[in-house]
Amino acid sequence: MRRNSLRLRLLAGAAVTVFLALALAWAGISWLFLQHVERREADALVQIAEQVVAGLTVGADGRPVVEPRPADPRFQQIAGGSYWQATNARGSVQSQSLWDQSLPRTGASLNRWTRATVMGPYGKQLTMVSRQIRPDERPLGVTVRVANDNSEVRSAVRDFDRVLALSLALLWLVLSIAAYVQVSLGLRPLDRLRRDLERLRRSPSARLSEHHPHEIHPLIEAINAMATAREGDLVRARRRAADLAHGLKTPLAVVAAQSRRVREAGADNAAESLDRAVEAVGAALEAELARSRAAAARGASGDSDAIEVVEGLVSVIERTEEGEAIAFSIDIAPGLRAPVDGTDLAEMLGALIENATRHARRQVRIEGRREAGAIILRVEDDGPGMDASAIEVATQRGVRIDERGSGHGLGLSIVRDLADATEAMFGLGASALGGLSAELRWASPDHPPKRR
Amino acid sequence: MRALLVEDDPDLSEDVARSLAAAGFVVDRCSNGEDAWFQGDVEDYAIAILDLGLPRLDGLSVLRRWRAASRTMPVLILTARGEWTEKVEGIDAGADDYMSKPFATGELIARVRALVRRASGHASAMLTVGDLVIDTARMNASIRDRQAQLSQLEFRLINYLAHQQDRIVPAGEIAEHLYGATDGSDTNAVEAIVTRLRRKLGSSAIETRRGLGYLLTGKAG
Repeated sequence: MRRNSLRLRLLAGAAVTVFLALALAWAGISWLFLQHVERREADALVQIAEQVVAGLTVGADGRPVVEPRPADPRFQQIAGGSYWQATNARGSVQSQSLWDQSLPRTGASLNRWTRATVMGPYGKQLTMVSRQIRPDERPLGVTVRVANDNSEVRSAVRDFDRVLALSLALLWLVLSIAAYVQVSLGLRPLDRLRRDLERLRRSPSARLSEHHPHEIHPLIEAINAMATAREGDLVRARRRAADLAHGLKTPLAVVAAQSRRVREAGADNAAESLDRAVEAVGAALEAELARSRAAAARGASGDSDAIEVVEGLVSVIERTEEGEAIAFSIDIAPGLRAPVDGTDLAEMLGALIENATRHARRQVRIEGRREAGAIILRVEDDGPGMDASAIEVATQRGVRIDERGSGHGLGLSIVRDLADATEAMFGLGASALGGLSAELRWASPDHPPKRR
Repeated sequence: MRALLVEDDPDLSEDVARSLAAAGFVVDRCSNGEDAWFQGDVEDYAIAILDLGLPRLDGLSVLRRWRAASRTMPVLILTARGEWTEKVEGIDAGADDYMSKPFATGELIARVRALVRRASGHASAMLTVGDLVIDTARMNASIRDRQAQLSQLEFRLINYLAHQQDRIVPAGEIAEHLYGATDGSDTNAVEAIVTRLRRKLGSSAIETRRGLGYLLTGKAG
């Protein structure tokens, strides 16, 4: 996950927030539990203290007397953890467990039991309740204190805190996973939007799908409107370029004719300059038309009957001076349809068959079949072929291949550009006929290509 | 020999007309489709050079109207667009050759001469074998209702077979007739041409006698 990621931010935000909330909950629950346990402990101590109070009298010497004493054996065992003590100004009486120690003096109310946590004898922390009593309505009050070692309670609270912390940590994990799922579900439409935009980038005629959550519909509409405007600009620009290129061809033919007249008049140098200029402009026009065709083919939909296209092309090429001496064999599976518009297929195969015809000795073979999820069209000749290094150069992007004979050396470049635009693989190799084999391969519509 | 030149650009038309005249043709010029259609329909020409992008009536429509009216003069089309589908449409409409602009006038004249020679060299001899009729003037063949335009090689092969009068002709002999000096692989080319002829004329028109060669039966079907 990238650092500057919306998903990471949302996930980190959710994890931290949930953690803080659960930590606060842990502290609160722990405090409430401690209060509850201490109150229960204090209630138990008050019950014992009331037994002490029940037996409390003041002796003739003014010292407090507790008779009978509480029977709990813990009060008999020295440092046993449970203690009571009744004290006034004349003296005190206490449980045997206190031995020679006494409970710490804390403020005691007259009418109610006061709870306190104190450090008691023998270094133990105690929960203590205390109260002032006036037996027999005497003015001299007696302070009764009953205390219990609370280490067990504290241990229980610690255990509770630990279990609670583990439970809350588990809850934090579950909530974080839930947040991840929520964030992923929430961001999924953006992922689909990204794929749609990728499609839009490759194909100007594509549009973003309407099947997005209504919250991002305004964004979809804005992007689609922008794409429509961009496509319109592109189409107009291409049409202008193509019209300009076509419009220039006839004047160019006139200039070529003038060049011949200039040569006839004896000005060979001027005629050669004119010829070179005509050739350069012609090449530029063809290149512009090829680019325009490839751009129009990009993202265009449609399919075409391979046999029909090939038969038409062969009927044209076999009338040319080079084609009339060549035997063309067409071996295409009946009904085979190439997933590309007929005009684009004709441009690709026309260039390949014309090229094969130019180099063939006797024969050109055009094959077409469906194989392993692909539609393959192959043009082979029995000419000299190309060596591996020439094939490597010919199939490199951006390299223009010069061809023997007429034309502007654009044939294979046009095929390559159109193959690229129609998502076809274009390859050259050795043919069983002895010459060059040129192959176009499309993923069958039943087997779409894997996304890059 | 009369030639009809149909081109709407006056400079180009002027230059091509001059070159044709220098090559011995008497040239009539038209600058729009309607005039061209009328002119080609009522006058006899040895050849027509027809631009496809014409005002009033486009070149392809002119060509189709001529052929529909059984005007059989060879037609060479000139096209500025140069797209393959346009060339195929032109040939389907009945053109005999095409050239893309800009072109070298010398090459245009050479092609015009070749077309005229081809059309006039065979007079109007018709060869008949069974149901098959071969028009040696237009390099056409028809078998019952099926019409087929033949390539140069196809025409030469079927013409040779038609002259063998029920003889089984070995593939090597055909290859030698088509190509002169031959080697073994040329019989593959012969087989390819026969396959295309069968596709155009029907599978029974030429029979293969295994180990012997080919026999032109001219049977339909």
